[in-house]
Amino acid sequence: MIEVKKLNVHIGDNHILKDIDLLFPERSITCIIGPSGCGKSTLLRTLNRLIDSTEGVRIDGQVLVDGEDIIDSQSDITELRRRIGLVSQRPCPLPMSIYDNVAYGCRINRMFKKRRELVLHVRQCLRAVGLMDEIKGRMHAPASRLSIGQQQRLCLARSLAVHPDYILADEATSALDPISSKTVEDLFVSLKDKYSIIMVTHTLRQALRIADNVVFMYLGEIIETGPASQVFNNPQNELTQKYLSGAFS
Amino acid sequence: MNVRILKDRTAKGLMLTMTVVAILMVVAIAIGLYLKSRPVLESQSLSSLLFGSQWKPLKGQFGFLPFLMGTVWVTLLAIAFALPISLLTAIFITEYARPMVKRFVFPVLDILAALPSVIYGVWGILVVVPWISKHVAPHFVDFSTGYTVLAAGIVLGIMVLPLLVSLFIEVFSSVPAELREASLSLGATQWQTALRVVVRRSLSGILASSVLAVSRAMGETIAVLMVCGCVVGMPHGLLDACYPIPALIANNYGEMLSIPLYESALMFAALILFVVVLIFNLLSRIVLYRIEKQNE
Repeated sequence: MIEVKKLNVHIGDNHILKDIDLLFPERSITCIIGPSGCGKSTLLRTLNRLIDSTEGVRIDGQVLVDGEDIIDSQSDITELRRRIGLVSQRPCPLPMSIYDNVAYGCRINRMFKKRRELVLHVRQCLRAVGLMDEIKGRMHAPASRLSIGQQQRLCLARSLAVHPDYILADEATSALDPISSKTVEDLFVSLKDKYSIIMVTHTLRQALRIADNVVFMYLGEIIETGPASQVFNNPQNELTQKYLSGAFS
Repeated sequence: MNVRILKDRTAKGLMLTMTVVAILMVVAIAIGLYLKSRPVLESQSLSSLLFGSQWKPLKGQFGFLPFLMGTVWVTLLAIAFALPISLLTAIFITEYARPMVKRFVFPVLDILAALPSVIYGVWGILVVVPWISKHVAPHFVDFSTGYTVLAAGIVLGIMVLPLLVSLFIEVFSSVPAELREASLSLGATQWQTALRVVVRRSLSGILASSVLAVSRAMGETIAVLMVCGCVVGMPHGLLDACYPIPALIANNYGEMLSIPLYESALMFAALILFVVVLIFNLLSRIVLYRIEKQNE
């Protein structure tokens, strides 16, 4: 379980995240919604400490992943990142073949001793995202030759390959055409039995379709959070009501 | 006709002319060099010129192999010396260093790259040559003045270093941040990411930059001339003196032209340099094209 306590993030003089307290339930999809610039992506990038590479960043508070505070400088960041997969906005296959993209994380984490085991595992991951049949015999072709939608599913397969517990998705379908978008969305739904998925999305409809829980953010603060049905059907906060009704976006 | 359109056409015509002139310059140089080298080419076969090692201008024997080998040795040594250092420096600056460090490093690199080569030559004579003569050579040979292939390689390597570092920094910086994040988010360390993603993605850029550096190193004259020893003879090791082609031309053109065919021979030397750099660039273009196609 990921628990965020009194999290404050500053970048330079800007106070991006303000006193965030959150609990991400396991084995479900939590959608973070809110207007542009409200800190959704920053929150997501704090959860796997990719925020560290941002210039002038300062983090206070706690992010507990299964009880371990990852903001603490003693924590093993590489192991943390392996456990928290990331699917970014634009698909970005690594500059190597389809097979190597999936095998990359396994090799780095020394997951398999025998090549055969690795091959089987890569195939299994590609099958899990529905790519195996589509790329038959092209496993060793450059990943960049896939269509954008296929590339995004490859990125998901790459994340799944290192056995993460959590998957972070940052507007993972926003760059895709409607059909690919639907495929990826369905994939996330099918994966929630095994993984805890935290998804930033700009599309309310998408959140409505797939979210189990919803977090609504505005100007770096959590305005409302709860089960999706409650937030969408009976929002408690006036800002949430306005946002959902389309008063601002 | 509208004045604006007239201006537009004039500008276009002018730029086209300039472009053509620039390209024709190269062709003109090639033709000029060839015409000037014809006398020596007629007196001796091409193979004896290129692969002969007898350099006796008074007897009309011009074998360029020692000079060619001098150029090749010094250039290869310089690149072998500069390539790993500049790669690691550039990786450090793009992947590890804080922005403060970057802001400090860039101007320093620019200054180093802009230093006149004669300064590198003087530094070579004052520091590198005595160091080789006193501390390196005694381990291997009885005596060495220090004016050697090694000295020329080191000085030249240091000269091309800032060029290579700034080219590599540019190449690595063009790798999208998302790629690094994708690798990091799979549990890779920064070093693994740098090596397996950033460098891998930059292979074509690394190659192109290296070719530029090699071309620059091949043609570098003054600094090399000052420390290479300028002794005619085939270099057999790093502690032998050598005589690269640019040094030969610079040292002798205008000096020994009373000897028949000597001027023509020097022009032929320039032609060799020209052709070698040309072939080298063409080959690298082909390799680059292949790599880019692979990465598509």
